[in-house]
Amino acid sequence: MTTTTASQPTVARRISDQLKRNRGRAAIFATLAFIFLSGLFTMDTGDWMITVLRGLAVGAITFLVASGLSLIFGLMDVLNLAHGELFMLGAYVGWTVYVRPDTFLDFLLPLMIILAVFAASALLGPLLARIDLGLTARRIAAAVSAAAGVLIGVWAFGRFPLSIWDLENFNETPTANSLALDTGVLTVPEPAAWTGSPVVAVLGLVLGAALLTFAVGLASGRGPSGRLTPRRFTWAFVALGIAALVWLFGDQLTDWMYGLGTGPRFFIALIVASIGGFGAGAGIETGLIRPLYDRPIYQLMITLGLGFIIIELVREVWGRPEFTMPKPDVFNRTGEGCPGEGLGGFFSGCSTVKILDSRVRMYNEVFIIAVGVIVLVVITLLIKRTRIGMIIRVGVQDREMVEALGVNVRQVFTLVFAIGVALAAFGGVIAAPALGLSPEMGSRVLLLALIAMAVGGLTSFPGAAAGAALVGLLQQFVIKAGSTGIPLPWAEEAWKPSPSLVPVSVTILMIVVLLVVPGGLFGRED
Amino acid sequence: MTTMLHVDHIDTFIGQYHILEGVDLRIEEGEIVALLGRNGAGKTTTLKSILGLTPPRTGSIEFRGAAISGLRPFEIASQGIGYVPEHRAIFSDLTVEENLKIAERTKGDFDRRKDLILTLFPDLARLIHLPGTKLSGGQQQMLAVGRALVPENHLLLIDEPSEGLAPILIQQMMEAIRELSSDTTILLVEQNFIVASRLATSFVILEEGSSVLSGSMADLVDDRDTIAKYLGAV
Repeated sequence: MTTTTASQPTVARRISDQLKRNRGRAAIFATLAFIFLSGLFTMDTGDWMITVLRGLAVGAITFLVASGLSLIFGLMDVLNLAHGELFMLGAYVGWTVYVRPDTFLDFLLPLMIILAVFAASALLGPLLARIDLGLTARRIAAAVSAAAGVLIGVWAFGRFPLSIWDLENFNETPTANSLALDTGVLTVPEPAAWTGSPVVAVLGLVLGAALLTFAVGLASGRGPSGRLTPRRFTWAFVALGIAALVWLFGDQLTDWMYGLGTGPRFFIALIVASIGGFGAGAGIETGLIRPLYDRPIYQLMITLGLGFIIIELVREVWGRPEFTMPKPDVFNRTGEGCPGEGLGGFFSGCSTVKILDSRVRMYNEVFIIAVGVIVLVVITLLIKRTRIGMIIRVGVQDREMVEALGVNVRQVFTLVFAIGVALAAFGGVIAAPALGLSPEMGSRVLLLALIAMAVGGLTSFPGAAAGAALVGLLQQFVIKAGSTGIPLPWAEEAWKPSPSLVPVSVTILMIVVLLVVPGGLFGRED
Repeated sequence: MTTMLHVDHIDTFIGQYHILEGVDLRIEEGEIVALLGRNGAGKTTTLKSILGLTPPRTGSIEFRGAAISGLRPFEIASQGIGYVPEHRAIFSDLTVEENLKIAERTKGDFDRRKDLILTLFPDLARLIHLPGTKLSGGQQQMLAVGRALVPENHLLLIDEPSEGLAPILIQQMMEAIRELSSDTTILLVEQNFIVASRLATSFVILEEGSSVLSGSMADLVDDRDTIAKYLGAV
């Protein structure tokens, strides 16, 4: 009895202390809640709900990019400005697997051969050990070897069979391919043939890749990364296995992929893009970021440059025009009785349902949010429950101590970078059916993600989620207000924010938040 | 008795600064060796050089008969060296329990050693779910030592365990270290000569980055002149 009476004032005081300390945050949340809720009175309830759903969907996509950015920034203090473009690349790769699996398989063969050579590069070690050159000679030899490797590799690559879309001929463009899949008239394209002898092409590619690894070994002076460990050997073997599989059974695999429904193929596209993103992330961290940990500005610039390269690559390969990615059939069903009534309508065969008299698209406004929430839960569990998660929470500040405990911090850096890029690529595929594909989609989402991070607190993972949701909601509400108008008591006509105010509103949110709570909503006090 | 650690004339640079200029050190199994010397003599750098955090440029280091110089810090630590750094380096975003768990080298290390750690530092038991930031200096020090005990290490490098602690806590810390020494070898950096002299069996004195004198602690305690010359008044 005495304890409760004694502790009550302290509890009350603690709450008031908390409130006082978090005055700024409370004010911001109250204001935002007011803005979002006031929509309830100025617009139709159904409109309001759909706006909230759209906002959360934009938030979910932003979050898939912001989460990786925030993990990477929190652990290793690297701001990966190529993150948006990797999101975009993920979307294009996912589209290719989904709409043109034959092109994907054709491309897989040379890619796997190159990867196998890289994995087995340690075999060159003894050869490198015998080379005794001065520093300058070494560098010149490395440059020559790299140039020769690229030339031979590109030449050999061109001799591989690659049945691909044709940007010049409209009926063969990605746009036409998407349309064909959407209307169900996509047919398996004619397989391409080897130019000349396959053996020459394969050997040429192997030689090219070997010359490249040789160049890396020469330039670093240490030989191409040490011994042929069992793990590397396994990787080389797996890559060769996939290459052999694609080479021997390419046509059957193509038919099989085309025969699959759009659902399973979409799933495969997600997995391929994630694995590709993981690999690309690991490669970027070890090859570009790691040598520059002492020069953070260079890291920033190299990721920025990488972003531009990816944009140009995408323009070159997939073309400049925007095109769509058809939704998997589950989300593309119309028919009698559609749109269905309530969420249950989805299960009775409608991809669009009516809730509160508003049409809700199951993919755009429900599925994307669900995916965002699942990723949020999974990553939160990873951070809270696993050892990697603990190391992520410790962050870059105590790197020396973590290393002294026996943790291979470098490896953790690579792993987290790879996970972050995989998340972005995954997000790209998830977003593509809703947003469409364009070379600009990456920079747009990166900007939103950076703002979301700043709003939520740069290194805070829950902050990235909350920031993304807020940014998405605000953006959608301003868009909606552009058509419904905001009634102002002193004006006769309702005020309709122009479309150009959409990006501005998000920036204003960031400025206000940073002025009131400089560390962001979930950032640290200091 | 076998040699636990043999540091053979190492030179360490930090940036352009030549911090260690020939440090020799030999620790036999089961000993507590005190590394003594004035501020800036290179005591902390010696510990960091052993761990590879500031890798020595020349000289060699052998741990349990195998060369460890040139290895990366995590590889060196994984061979069985625990480190209690100068300013404790408690991870402030982790709870006490997580601060201990993160030190696991194989799964289950923490569960195996939990009893030992909590017997040595009973205070930690009731703090186990608090975040690292909420701990007092003394509690942080106990946690830092506890963290080094999670994997079964052959050698502990302890930097200034008594720094900034109240006398009663120093007493407690000394008892814990003495108890540990029954099955672990310890290299101790200690400014407080009284603490060092009561714990250590032998000593090494550093001056301006070189090891200048070593021997048995019992001899040093009686040698007022040497103490005054290298360590100042005690």
